[in-house]
Amino acid sequence: MTILLFFASLLLSVTTGFFLVRILLPEPDGKNACVPLQLFLGTGIGIGISSCVYFLCMITGIIGLAPLLDILLCLLSGVAYFGTDKPSEGERLEKVLIHTKLKTISLCLRKLTTPRIAGESKNSRGGSSAASGKATKLEQLLIAVFSVELAASGGAFFFAFLKEPHGRWDAWLIWNMHARFLARSGDAWREVFSLPMDWSHWDYPLLLPLSLVRSWRYTGLESIYVPAAFAFIFFLLTAGLLLSAVSFLKNLSGGLLAGMILIATPFFILMGISQFADVPFSFFVLATIVLLFFQERFAKKGFGPLLLTGLAAGLSAWTKNEGLLFLLIVAFVLLTATTFKRGWKGATTRCGWFLAGALPVLLFVIYFKMQLAPANDLTAGLAAGETVWSKLTDMSRYGAIARDFFITGLNFTKGPVDLRVGMKLAPGAVSILLPAAWLWFAGINHDPKNRNGVICTAAILILMLSGYFAVYLLTPLPLEYHIATSLNRLYLQLWPSIIFLFFMIANPPDANWEGLIKKTAAAVSPARKSLSSQRKQGHIKG
Amino acid sequence: MFTSIKQKMGILLLVALTCSSAFSALWQNARSYGEAPETDPVTVHESRILTLKELLPASGSVGYITSVENDRIFAAEKTFANVEFLGQYVLTQYTLAPLVVRNSPAYPIVVGNFIAGGPDQEFLDKNHLLLVRDLGDGLIIYRKGGKP
Repeated sequence: MTILLFFASLLLSVTTGFFLVRILLPEPDGKNACVPLQLFLGTGIGIGISSCVYFLCMITGIIGLAPLLDILLCLLSGVAYFGTDKPSEGERLEKVLIHTKLKTISLCLRKLTTPRIAGESKNSRGGSSAASGKATKLEQLLIAVFSVELAASGGAFFFAFLKEPHGRWDAWLIWNMHARFLARSGDAWREVFSLPMDWSHWDYPLLLPLSLVRSWRYTGLESIYVPAAFAFIFFLLTAGLLLSAVSFLKNLSGGLLAGMILIATPFFILMGISQFADVPFSFFVLATIVLLFFQERFAKKGFGPLLLTGLAAGLSAWTKNEGLLFLLIVAFVLLTATTFKRGWKGATTRCGWFLAGALPVLLFVIYFKMQLAPANDLTAGLAAGETVWSKLTDMSRYGAIARDFFITGLNFTKGPVDLRVGMKLAPGAVSILLPAAWLWFAGINHDPKNRNGVICTAAILILMLSGYFAVYLLTPLPLEYHIATSLNRLYLQLWPSIIFLFFMIANPPDANWEGLIKKTAAAVSPARKSLSSQRKQGHIKG
Repeated sequence: MFTSIKQKMGILLLVALTCSSAFSALWQNARSYGEAPETDPVTVHESRILTLKELLPASGSVGYITSVENDRIFAAEKTFANVEFLGQYVLTQYTLAPLVVRNSPAYPIVVGNFIAGGPDQEFLDKNHLLLVRDLGDGLIIYRKGGKP
């Protein structure tokens, strides 16, 4: 019964998020090609929305009505989705025409390329599943390897849970601790934020703790399985989002390779197992960046993707304090990039939509920060201007931080720093060198469709690292302690997005097939003309 | 560019390295699970501390003392000298929430959690702590007495 109630609470979140994403992120070709992407995005966003709704119920004192509000929101999003999903007669006819055109072109292509594909198959060269409609040999192989790796990572998760069901240090020092206090304090929950427990960082945002509290309330049991389940869910969601995003924007083989790098990253597995908020945060960072690509590629699809981008960035700020920096950086990059491309007017409009998406969540973050949260230890600990100035002008600090950034940048995928050994350069099997090596093997793809997205993503990631650098420069904590206990996690938060960026820059594994298809498609333009004349004569009906 | 040898090599490299890494993670976790005690330290500590729960108020604040002086609990962790004392303190708080466990002996009721040696009588006298109940296994409840 407890498991059923847990899944019921999750299902409400997933359904709400999925409908919302389906409304705001329309199918570019009307063929349900990005349903997996929408599902992974929707699940994460739905969990985020549910935690916001729960927070709203807490601050308004109607916590008992939270399940009712969840159901209502789910129904509303469903009604909105089914209400807006009905295309007009003209749109429907257009969709059918496009579908028929694609089908005919695909048939022509298959006829034209059959001997070539057969020849390629013999040489195990693979091809594009888009042409044949079936997975190529390469894709089949990669699906098998990915499944095996996922099972291995899942197994690692399972053993780690058996060994440490409460997670690791930060889980019971911060996230699960906050959830326990909020769940057990009843109506006096506000008082927990004024407790003299600065070591537990009560200024940290509430997406993860409230998701746990909400599930405990649904199940009526403060189960240790719930934090572990959320840890595993976000691990799967991040890997799934990376896989589906690269698959959709590039191809399936590329998506599988990208996903394989992520699920085989030892530190990503460890952080998932540990029940920290870094993996959920990395999910929202990746979601924002994927949506930025999406809105660049399909700008004509309206402002829905931009609203969703803002919402995902807002939820990152509701997950961890770093999200506030991320939100500011994304807004800045979006404003700068669109100013260059579309001028001031276009830039302000697009940024306006982005901020409109972030605003609902941002209001919760602002309320939390202004009304409940104590001062952050880093900002509160910043001493007088003289000390700040002395830190800013201390060149040895720059050198030490840069050195640690470089070493950790190559090492972080392995896991935490071994303090007995100190920071030494020793990247593991899966490190940032692996996607970099893939870029060398695959070659750079100069697709102009991705240029803006790539530049924006690279700018965001570089600015995020610069922001972290500045925080270390001014930190009131002992520098070595602060870096050793956090820098690898900061890198990990960006790791799924870094992999995504590399795969968006690189050629997809079977890119030459795309070229072949394009050439062949050009050769079958008479078929298109024939279709066009059929359309004019009204032979194709919806 | 899969048709090229270079890309084939890239895929092979990626598959080999990610496979080895994923299986290594599985192997390490399976092995450490096998070597780990039957019950994890957090669960052990939680069940140990839970015996205090019914003897303490449900909410409010209690003090906390351990084998080292209170100001050394956090200082030892900051220098990576010893994280055990902080871990034990945090787990006591984790178990007893929403009761607040303050890292100080200056409270009417004080929880003693002695994981490395018993209480220092001089320290107890200095802070006027009187024994209320010794639950064994290093767990003691004190109350603040008047000045001697």
